[in-house]
Amino acid sequence: MNDKKRIFIVDDESGFTRLLKLTLEKTGNYLVREENDGTTAWLAAREFKPDIVFLDIVMPKIDGGEVARKIRSDPMLAHVPIIFLTAIVAERETLQEIGGFPFLAKPVSLEAITHCIEHHLPSPAAEETP
Amino acid sequence: MAAIRVLLIEDNPGDVFLLREMVNDDPSQRCRVVAQTDRVSSGIELLQQGEADVVLLDLTLPDCQGLESFERLHAAVPHIPVVVLSGTDDEEFAAQAVHLGAQEYLVKGRIDTHLIHRALRYAIERSRSESELAQERDLLHTLLENIPDRIYFKDEQSRFIRINRALQELFHLARPEQAYGKTDADFYGAEHSAEALADEAQVMDTRMPIFNKVEFETLQDGSRSWSLTTKLPLQDRRGRVVGTCGISREITQIKEMEEQLATERNLLRSLIDNLPDIIFLKDAQGRYLLDNVAHLRWIGASDASEVVGRTVYDFFPDDVADAFHAADLAVIASRCPMLNQEERSLDRAGRERWLLTSKIPWLGEGDAILGLVCISRDITEQKLSQQHLKQANADLAASREELLKTVKRLRDAHQELRDVQLQLIEAEKMKSIGRLAAGVAHEVKNPLAVIKMGVEFLSAQELTDETSSLILKEMAEAVDRADGVIGGLLDFSAPKRLQVEREDLNTIIDQALKLVRGELKGAYEIVRELQPNLPPLALDAAKISQVFINLLTNAIHSMGQGGVLTVRTYSKQLTGVGANVGGSRSESFRIGGQIVVAEIDDTGCGIPEDKLSKVFEPFFTTKPTGQGTGLGLSVVRTIVDLHGATIDLRNLPECGTRACLMFQV
Repeated sequence: MNDKKRIFIVDDESGFTRLLKLTLEKTGNYLVREENDGTTAWLAAREFKPDIVFLDIVMPKIDGGEVARKIRSDPMLAHVPIIFLTAIVAERETLQEIGGFPFLAKPVSLEAITHCIEHHLPSPAAEETP
Repeated sequence: MAAIRVLLIEDNPGDVFLLREMVNDDPSQRCRVVAQTDRVSSGIELLQQGEADVVLLDLTLPDCQGLESFERLHAAVPHIPVVVLSGTDDEEFAAQAVHLGAQEYLVKGRIDTHLIHRALRYAIERSRSESELAQERDLLHTLLENIPDRIYFKDEQSRFIRINRALQELFHLARPEQAYGKTDADFYGAEHSAEALADEAQVMDTRMPIFNKVEFETLQDGSRSWSLTTKLPLQDRRGRVVGTCGISREITQIKEMEEQLATERNLLRSLIDNLPDIIFLKDAQGRYLLDNVAHLRWIGASDASEVVGRTVYDFFPDDVADAFHAADLAVIASRCPMLNQEERSLDRAGRERWLLTSKIPWLGEGDAILGLVCISRDITEQKLSQQHLKQANADLAASREELLKTVKRLRDAHQELRDVQLQLIEAEKMKSIGRLAAGVAHEVKNPLAVIKMGVEFLSAQELTDETSSLILKEMAEAVDRADGVIGGLLDFSAPKRLQVEREDLNTIIDQALKLVRGELKGAYEIVRELQPNLPPLALDAAKISQVFINLLTNAIHSMGQGGVLTVRTYSKQLTGVGANVGGSRSESFRIGGQIVVAEIDDTGCGIPEDKLSKVFEPFFTTKPTGQGTGLGLSVVRTIVDLHGATIDLRNLPECGTRACLMFQV
């Protein structure tokens, strides 16, 4: 089970995180941890040690940008890719970046998320095939 | 000396015999009795027939007695001298007959031949001189009675001693004698009387006549008259001055005519002198004969005497004078008037003046040319005013032109301002929509994300029935549609900044065509008429791509099941600013500037004409609900505006719509 990619999802919308977790884990390729409170996200991340973080931008108390900075400034987590998930940009703009981070627009399809994960975390099988 | 023919009127035969003998007994053979009668009446007949020169008349006759005989005869033939014969007893009658006009009387019995011859001769001579005197007296009388001039004779005290009928009538007297012994003071006013008295004293004193003195007389009845009077000294035979005589002619009428003439002359004079126009009269040689005050002033003379007889050369420089003189001579030669001619002249100070002149030939009897009349008006002021007016008019026209230009500029500015205002309103609307969209997007997208995730989760399950998977598919599409609406709204709220690069429009269009290919579900034909080597344009490729995607999508949707989609590009020089390049955009497009045009034609349903003006408004759509966001063209418009380009949508004549974009190079 160690080869499962560890996905950390931070979003105040618990319905979304729960469904995303269910959907991703159902593929059998991912281990997902959801976090609905932005303020505790960083600590949870330290504990979970994710391979990739999906981060909502607009959240109560703290915004995604702040959370991203905290994770980036933590030596333990600095290397972890962060993908923003947001409802405030149109889909066609997702090719661009926000503050140097890639992002996905909500509502997002499962395909877009898995594509994004595979893009940032290539499967070992793929790596073995140069 | 002619013979003296004697008529003897005597009834006594003895006396007849005796008297005949004595008369005929004449040594000089001059006297002779040519007829004898015993009656006065037959005697008168003979005399009236001119049978005798003298009569010997007896006073006692059968048909007439005494003095009556003489009176009858004398009355009938007054010019025949009569010698009366009387007896000694009636000598008294004879003397009375002489007093009544008989020449002589002889007493019978005391007559001899010598006496009778002398009496007859004297009778004839006296009668002749009497008749001559009477004739002269008659002439004088006729003169005095009939001449209309007033004649008088006065004594040394200037009392009338004789006046003629004219004067008598002036004095209103029945007889001339009523004036005798009276003086002028009795008939005339005091002033004239005193003057006349003095004049008469002077005439008597100096013995020198006063000729033709004009006198103003006032009669006592108040009537006035003018007269021309001559007074002469009246002398007796010894040359002593015994009074005066005078003759006076009434000249009131002449005087009045003269005065009338003078008045008329003065009127005419004051007329021409008071006229502001210059008036003068010249003879045929061009010498001034008469001129008015205006003319004197014009040529700088103070009195007519300085002008009359001189010519225009005495007052003007030769070149100016030549022109005047030539005009004068032309009028005189042609005898045709020159009317209202404008003449340029110099005044005495050498300043330019303008005259309006008429010259009229002056013709005398038999159409002989006497000279010319000239009347001339100084119109310099009018001329100047005219010039000023012309200038003012020109200025006015220029001001008007300027004003019209200003008005046009103002109108343009106003139009521009309105455009800007509309744009501002539009922008404000967009901003509000943008803010709303940003808020709504976040709140809607999160639930959408949950639904989408849920649908995808369920879709991954093993489903037992077909219906459920169909439902899940519909739900997924609904989520995508909702997301599309939110996406369109967010395009508004996105920051209006362009990332401009030099791009090739054809490349962008080709990419957009690839992206919309998914929409082509039917019998579509795509015609590319892209001009190669278009000049590169400064564009935000992503945003312009969005524009073409939206336009192409609309075109495809308008055609339903199929049709021809034509995409065309070309570059050209802008030849005119069309209706589609209005308002603020026109500043970007200059006539003659290079532009690139992109056209997208479809063969679809077109846009209802009444909707054409609204298609760029947000949330306006012609598509059925669920098929369009109503934001596509608003986004297109926003992006096109940001590029300073223009877009125009119009229906094609056959069918379909053309979207025309113009970019400046």
